[in-house]
Amino acid sequence: MSLASVAPRHGPNRWSRLNRLVRPYLYILPAIATFVIWIYEPLARAFVLSFQQWNLMPTAPRRWVGLENYENILALPRFWQALENTGLYLLGLLPMAVLLPLAIAIFTQDLSGRTRNLYRALIFVPMIVPPVVAAAVWRWMLDPHNGIVNGAIGALGGDPVRFLSDPHLALWTITFITGWKLMGFSTLVLSAANASIDGSLIEAARLDGASTWEIVRDIRLPLLSPAILLLVLMVILLGAQWSFSYIHVLTEGGPLGSTTNIYYLLWQFGFGSLSVGWSSASAVILFVGFSLIAALLFWLKAKLSFHDD
Amino acid sequence: MTDTALQAPARPVAFRLRFGTGWQRPLGHGLMILLSLLSVFPIYWMILTSLRPENEILSTRIWPDAATLDNYAYALSAIPMLRMLVNTFVVSAVVTAIQILTGILAGYGFSRWRFRGASLLMGAVALTWLVPLQVVMIPNYLLVARLGMIDTLGALILPHTASAFAILLLVQAMRSFPSEVYEAARMDGANHAHILWHIVVPNLRGTIASLAILVFISTWNEYFWPLLLTRSAQNSVVQIGLQMFITAEGTQWGPLMAASTLASLPILAIYLVLQRQVIASFMKSGLR
Repeated sequence: MSLASVAPRHGPNRWSRLNRLVRPYLYILPAIATFVIWIYEPLARAFVLSFQQWNLMPTAPRRWVGLENYENILALPRFWQALENTGLYLLGLLPMAVLLPLAIAIFTQDLSGRTRNLYRALIFVPMIVPPVVAAAVWRWMLDPHNGIVNGAIGALGGDPVRFLSDPHLALWTITFITGWKLMGFSTLVLSAANASIDGSLIEAARLDGASTWEIVRDIRLPLLSPAILLLVLMVILLGAQWSFSYIHVLTEGGPLGSTTNIYYLLWQFGFGSLSVGWSSASAVILFVGFSLIAALLFWLKAKLSFHDD
Repeated sequence: MTDTALQAPARPVAFRLRFGTGWQRPLGHGLMILLSLLSVFPIYWMILTSLRPENEILSTRIWPDAATLDNYAYALSAIPMLRMLVNTFVVSAVVTAIQILTGILAGYGFSRWRFRGASLLMGAVALTWLVPLQVVMIPNYLLVARLGMIDTLGALILPHTASAFAILLLVQAMRSFPSEVYEAARMDGANHAHILWHIVVPNLRGTIASLAILVFISTWNEYFWPLLLTRSAQNSVVQIGLQMFITAEGTQWGPLMAASTLASLPILAIYLVLQRQVIASFMKSGLR
């Protein structure tokens, strides 16, 4: 394959050989260049910035501080709170984006054709609504004074609930809005997987005297496990990221930092307090942490799908 | 047991009828109706509020009474809403076109030839989603600043000139393309550009269309990049504009809901017309 092997040949032939050699690279160049320029090189740069102290001003000096940024962040209660909140977001999202849709998918598998298409069309709507619009609408519906939700609570005799300004509630409110966007989508993914299960398997089990619950446990759940794992993977790796828009529009991380997750903390460090070093150091911690979790989940997924065969 | 296995293929219909009766059926419908209501009521409420006259904005009746376009008029005049909508459309259309172009080229490159480093490069493409935007935001911001492109529409387009999802989807589609067609075209003396644009692309119209829908909607809904890279309303997109109605002094609910409706109108219109394709392309994407 090396060029040397064609060296004795004449000019034009050699040219076409070279052409053939570089051609595949030319085709993929635009895409790879984009990823290098906007993702991989910046990733390396973030790593370098995490050892420096800088305030984002072009004229300000950049100072090497070694591991100081990491030490400072790890000593910061805010950092641990954001990490804990990230975990709470994911914990709250899993039931809404995976468990509930799973239950619905299993219960509704045999609804008749026409109504099923209508349900499909309706429950998918939140998925395509712009996140900022979702944030605005829920802000309006959950408004403590004039929102329709508190209107309903008031009509039932309850006190107004401060969904977004109560430090104990705000995180769950944002989790709910994030989950609201995903619920229909997950339901459709799991319904599709559920519908593709071979009916004769279930028929056979039923004739053998298996109960509905046994069929769900021993046939449906194992066969659905690749789809379930895919959703779990998505929620864990992307879930906290999705809530960024809602946090920024609805609470800006408050009250008392109770809705700040790790992604929002990066934003606050970087563009709120202009401490590039801190933001970059947390970015590196986040990236390494999530890479490890992703590797673990992919390993688990490979192992589980092997069991299916 | 053997009997069952033999009869099975003929039985699913009967089985379905049996499973769908009894207590599970109404419960299933009930669940779906609840979920459907939860899904679309907020959108209904947004549109309803946006059409209410100012003195009825706070009404919690769930049926419309008097309708007015006042809130829309206000939203369009208070901020450069129309300009922002046009900006959003331009950015989304250009990003869609470019991502599909780079996706087609890379898809052809990866699927047509085996070359040194192919799997490594493919891995680099697939792993891009592991890098959250927030992790690379500062270096990207600095790069845009160095290019002198802060507060331009170009800055919103540049980081999106390729997407891993487009490439992976097109590689997959092109790999399943029958290789005899390639060989026949090669025999006829067609070059690669000709094969790609006149044979492969026309045959992948369906895949490319569903990709276009997905990329357009995701770009339209994008919030993080514009938040980072734009400064003035004139050069911004509609998602940023919405926030201008939420102020410290209080929120102007009517205009905010009108602006929100305008910001989701193109997406909802696409969905109304191409509902099946939209759902299918999102399910294929596995999100993003």
